[in-house]
Amino acid sequence: MSFAQTFSFGESRDSVSRFGTTSCPARPHRPPRSLGCPLGPAGWPAGAAARTGARCPAGRVFGFHFSFPGLAHFLSHRTAPGRGVQGPHLSRVPPAFPVDPKEANSCGSRRAKRAQRDGKLQKSSALCPPPRLSRNSRPWARAPQLIHSPGAGPALHVHTRVRGGLAPAAAAPPKSRPGSRSPLPAGKPEPMALFAVFQTSFLLALLSLRAYQSEVLVEPLPLTPESLNVSIDSAHQYLNLQWSVHSLAYYQELKMLFQIQISRMKTSNVIWVGNYSTVVKRDPVLHWSWKSELPLECATHFVRMRSRVDDAKIPEPRFWSNWSSWKEADAQKSLGRDPLFLFPKDKLVEEGSNVTICYMSRNQQDNISCYLEGQQIHGEQLDSNVSAFKLNKVSFIRKTGTNIFCKVDQKDVIKGIVLFVSKVLEEPKDFSCETQDFKTLTCTWDPGTDTSLPKRSSQSYTLFESFSGKKILCEHKNSCNWQVDSDSQEMYNFTLVAENALGNRSVSVLFSLTHRVHPKTPYNLFLKNVSGTKATVTWKVHPIGNYSTLLCQLDLLGEGNVIQQHNVSIKENGEYLLSELEPDTEYMARVRCADANHFWKWSGSISQKFITAEAAPSEALDVWRNVKSVSGRPTVTLFWKPLSKLHANGKILSYNVTVENLDRLSGLEVHSVPATANGTELTLDQDSYQIHVTALNSAGPSPASVIVVSGDPGNEEVEEERVNGTEDGFSVSWKPQSGKAIGYVVEWCDHPQDLPCDLQWKNLSSNTTSTVISSGAFRPGVRYNFRIYEISTERMAYLLEKKAGYLKELAPSDNPQVVVSNLTSHSFTLSWKDYSTDSQPGFIQGYYVYLRSKAEKECHPGFKKATLPDKSACCQHRIDNPEQKTFVMENLQPESVYEFLVTPYTSAGSGPLDAFTKVTTPDEYSHILIRIILPMIVCVLLIMITCYLKSQWMKEKCYPDIPDPYKSNVLSLIKSKENPHLTIMNVSDCVPDAIEVIHKPEGSKIQFLGASKSLTETEFTKPAYLYLLPAEKNYSGPGPCICFENLTYNEAAADSGSCGHFPVTPEALPGQPGPLTSPENLLKALEKNYMNSLGETAAGEASLNYVSQLASQMSGDKDSLPANPPEPVLCSEYKMQMAIPLGLASPPPAENSGLSSTTPLDQSEHYR
Amino acid sequence: MRPQLVQRTLLSLVLGLLFLSTAATGKCSGKYHELLQQLQSQADLMQDTSTLLDPYIHFQGLDQAGLKEHCKESPGAFPSEDTLRGLSQRGFLRTLNATLGHVLHRLTALQQDLTIAQDQGRNIRGFRSNIHCMSQLLRGSSEVETAEPTQPGPEATLPPTPSSDTFQHKLQGCRFLRGYHRFMHSAGQVFKEWADSRSQSRSRRHRPPRALQRGARRMRPFRRDERLMPRGQLPR
Repeated sequence: MSFAQTFSFGESRDSVSRFGTTSCPARPHRPPRSLGCPLGPAGWPAGAAARTGARCPAGRVFGFHFSFPGLAHFLSHRTAPGRGVQGPHLSRVPPAFPVDPKEANSCGSRRAKRAQRDGKLQKSSALCPPPRLSRNSRPWARAPQLIHSPGAGPALHVHTRVRGGLAPAAAAPPKSRPGSRSPLPAGKPEPMALFAVFQTSFLLALLSLRAYQSEVLVEPLPLTPESLNVSIDSAHQYLNLQWSVHSLAYYQELKMLFQIQISRMKTSNVIWVGNYSTVVKRDPVLHWSWKSELPLECATHFVRMRSRVDDAKIPEPRFWSNWSSWKEADAQKSLGRDPLFLFPKDKLVEEGSNVTICYMSRNQQDNISCYLEGQQIHGEQLDSNVSAFKLNKVSFIRKTGTNIFCKVDQKDVIKGIVLFVSKVLEEPKDFSCETQDFKTLTCTWDPGTDTSLPKRSSQSYTLFESFSGKKILCEHKNSCNWQVDSDSQEMYNFTLVAENALGNRSVSVLFSLTHRVHPKTPYNLFLKNVSGTKATVTWKVHPIGNYSTLLCQLDLLGEGNVIQQHNVSIKENGEYLLSELEPDTEYMARVRCADANHFWKWSGSISQKFITAEAAPSEALDVWRNVKSVSGRPTVTLFWKPLSKLHANGKILSYNVTVENLDRLSGLEVHSVPATANGTELTLDQDSYQIHVTALNSAGPSPASVIVVSGDPGNEEVEEERVNGTEDGFSVSWKPQSGKAIGYVVEWCDHPQDLPCDLQWKNLSSNTTSTVISSGAFRPGVRYNFRIYEISTERMAYLLEKKAGYLKELAPSDNPQVVVSNLTSHSFTLSWKDYSTDSQPGFIQGYYVYLRSKAEKECHPGFKKATLPDKSACCQHRIDNPEQKTFVMENLQPESVYEFLVTPYTSAGSGPLDAFTKVTTPDEYSHILIRIILPMIVCVLLIMITCYLKSQWMKEKCYPDIPDPYKSNVLSLIKSKENPHLTIMNVSDCVPDAIEVIHKPEGSKIQFLGASKSLTETEFTKPAYLYLLPAEKNYSGPGPCICFENLTYNEAAADSGSCGHFPVTPEALPGQPGPLTSPENLLKALEKNYMNSLGETAAGEASLNYVSQLASQMSGDKDSLPANPPEPVLCSEYKMQMAIPLGLASPPPAENSGLSSTTPLDQSEHYR
Repeated sequence: MRPQLVQRTLLSLVLGLLFLSTAATGKCSGKYHELLQQLQSQADLMQDTSTLLDPYIHFQGLDQAGLKEHCKESPGAFPSEDTLRGLSQRGFLRTLNATLGHVLHRLTALQQDLTIAQDQGRNIRGFRSNIHCMSQLLRGSSEVETAEPTQPGPEATLPPTPSSDTFQHKLQGCRFLRGYHRFMHSAGQVFKEWADSRSQSRSRRHRPPRALQRGARRMRPFRRDERLMPRGQLPR
């Protein structure tokens, strides 16, 4: 879209402050016109006239009422009108004079009056500059100006009229109207009259000359715009102006300049002034449009204009016509009675534009709030009921438009508009045209962003070719086809125009058709005669013209990479022999072509895959061996590395292993190994063998790999050296020995801690003495052992050197298991002999022995103080010999607790310092005690065992059984013969009242148990007797008394045989202590410990006495009896013995002794 | 937005299958119960605002404070629920059919703005097909029923053409869709009452639905006082 007019704009103060600049695009139906656009500050009262140079005198020019005192004055202002319109742009000088016609007229009137009064030329002043004389104000001026003279004074009124069109600048001499006064002052003397005549004649001559030159009629024409009509185009926010000018008498057409003023709200508020230049023809109905930034519905606008001839045919100076009357454009009248209006409706703008929105309220009292996408916006109040919002750089939100709405508070009134924001129309990119067949040109481009909106189409594309003048509307957004008519046109100049409702963008390209040849993709690509190393490629192309040659590029690709590239010039059929191919390899042949004469673009590519035939493997296998002895027989394990694809030349089907005995003549032994295996195992004897290994594919075997092995493993006792690992691997070097080596082999295991260890080897030439062994399997902290073999000329491998190293040494992760031995009160021994130094994450350089004790603060000699990670202090001893695996801790304190820890260290650090072991040193004399006590315990045990084994014997010897008196033969003898009144009483029949222990010394002295007198003081020379006394207090006479006599323990008693009865009265027990003086207490004390059978003893049989001796369990030694008087001790055991009349006692038979303790006196009681 | 889109897609799929079953057979089912249940289900689904209104509001940028509250159903644009309840069965169906016809017309205009309106248009056509079948079913039992005027549909009450003011057009479309969903909700309620009244009638009589066996031609006509209460030969 091109703008029809170009304007320079002026800005009113209002427009500057509110709306920025205004634009005045032409209406589409008007052809472009160029016009100058002098502009003034529209908002100023003086309007644009002052800015445009139509100053105060200019206003008078239109009134054409200037004095004419003389030619000098005229000449002095000859160029003055030119200042009014000096070019297309307006000088921005401040307005010096108001435009108000009244003021202008008054100013002119004052000037005229002064001229009249002074009778001399007026000088210009700041406020009232001298009147400028336009051409038509001069007698010879024939410009079509409407001139009138409201002022007074000697003014020359020149009325020109164009007859039959405007004549070129020439004009007829002016006619003085009948009533016009002479410009000469009256009442002058004759010399002056003569001068006046001369002057008049000169002027008349000039006027005649002017009239002759211009050949224009004399009468001036009123060219003020007439019939000005203003209408509003709300959809596009245009003010449409239509007016006419009077018919042109002398000209078919005449270029005119129209100055237009637009006011807002009131006529004095001029917001825009601009000029419009056009050529007026015979039917001079003119149109012009002005686009308003502020929606026209929100304010009344006023328009007026004036005109001026701006044609070169009319000589300068040219004068403006009078202003037309103001015409009002009021869209508010057509609005309904809604309480609120919001404008513009459905406006389409480009993203980034500035938009002015206004609302108009019918009721000034309403409180109105407006929102843009939900967010309140605040505008500027233009009027009491009109406010406007300026949105700067609007952005695209959605295709359905940006919602802007206003609401009347407290009322359910909402009005809104939708602002459609279109994406910016981009210039087409990568615009180019090409042909494949010289019949059609295909132009393509990148359209960029789609600017389409709902109900609004996207941008369209038009292709225009300037040489042929043809234009087509493209069907697609990114391509267009142009038919090449004939071969005659070689050059093409295309212009692609992208256009949407808001504007257009264009891009051009100029080219020669033959330089834009883009051949079609080749076809029929085939491979033939494909062998292991060669293949022939054929293809065809679409011909381009009769004489065109195509340059085809043949690419050979392998694994995606271009291996070979060949250029072939062809007309129609292409063929090429590919060589130097690898057998059994997949390739791709790819062909594309371009114009050989003028390269423009490659055609599309056509490709074809093919696989070359197989060939025998080209390389021998890389073979290595491992010899070990299994059950005394050398076993050789052969390893080989699979052939690379490059050397295999096909699929390996199997491996052949041929074994030849070098020491003895024997047949060849051939083993076939499947292709999936990478080795085999052979069991040989002590002879030397030569082994050939080959790989087979469908085309044949590979060269043989030969290796010689022997049952003798050779010298394996080679000292191991250390090798340092780096990031690149292990740098291994060795010293040649024999000098006859044909090569070297370095052997190692990638995973030495696994089984199998993944044996690896590296073949090296004979002149190599070092290499770097690298492997992705190498890990820090793993010990790798390298063995360097020398390959002799007999292809026998001899161990040359051993190396061991770590890629990176690490600190030990575990501590050795330490055994404590030889623990004494002053030392103990630590040993960790099971600790293997070879399987550690670094070379063990030694050990640290840590010792700590709470008892000792100072370290022993050989130790130094160290601080553990937990900040605790201890003593550290360093062992620098990794093979020293014992350590003696000495100088220790007896009966002390020590904690120790043994940790190895490598170059990377020591092991963990966490698990200390406690050791307590024993007492200094404990070993002596052990030496004594232990034999004693053994002896005691022996004695106890012996006693146990000889218990019967011991019993018989030491404590024989007491005979049971009931079973004594004496009883029957007493009953039957001597004393029929005697009987044996049951114990239950006898109630014991007291037990009296009687010590029967020689003087029959009685001693009571528990007497206060010490027993030790008593003379124990006779056996003791125990008397049972009756409980009755009134017992006075001699009662029954039972006396137990222990003949077993009291030999003295037995020997004496004096177990007699001694009547004892209660009075005979003086000094008896409390507890035993009471019969009940005494019974209780004796109830569990003593056997008594008083119940069975008749009260009257006092002659029968039982005497029992108290036998303590604690003391079996009867010798000690005198020292330990019989006390009523619990758990004491007493032997019961039958009492017999004195003199009749006889020893009981031995066989009845066992009954003494178990004979029941009654069915419910036992006595012991 | 993604779950909402999936939900809408699933809903459209379900509705499409429902309508497809009717359209695929090409002829009306003579089973009143099935037809009523299908109509009820369709009405329930079509009253869901996520099928039309919510996407429309989002698409037009009306989901803003100050605008939502103006997206209210225009009074009288669609028959109210009480109005629908007051109609006889056939009158209700006629009104429903006519209203949906106008909705279809309006959706055609909305299709330019909302692509899913096209899917909803298919759904409405399927729904109208079922209405037609139900009308056929009822016609056999209502030959003597007096003619009942169709309630004014949206044609008489809705703005005849969208305003040239795009903003007003957006709001009118929003109000229209809200009314449409409300109307379908009311229609679903009416269909539910149909089903309830049928089950009550069956429980009162304790006899098998003979009409299901005899078909539509044996149906008894409805009377004015039997609105929404299918009796006699109507399947229960």
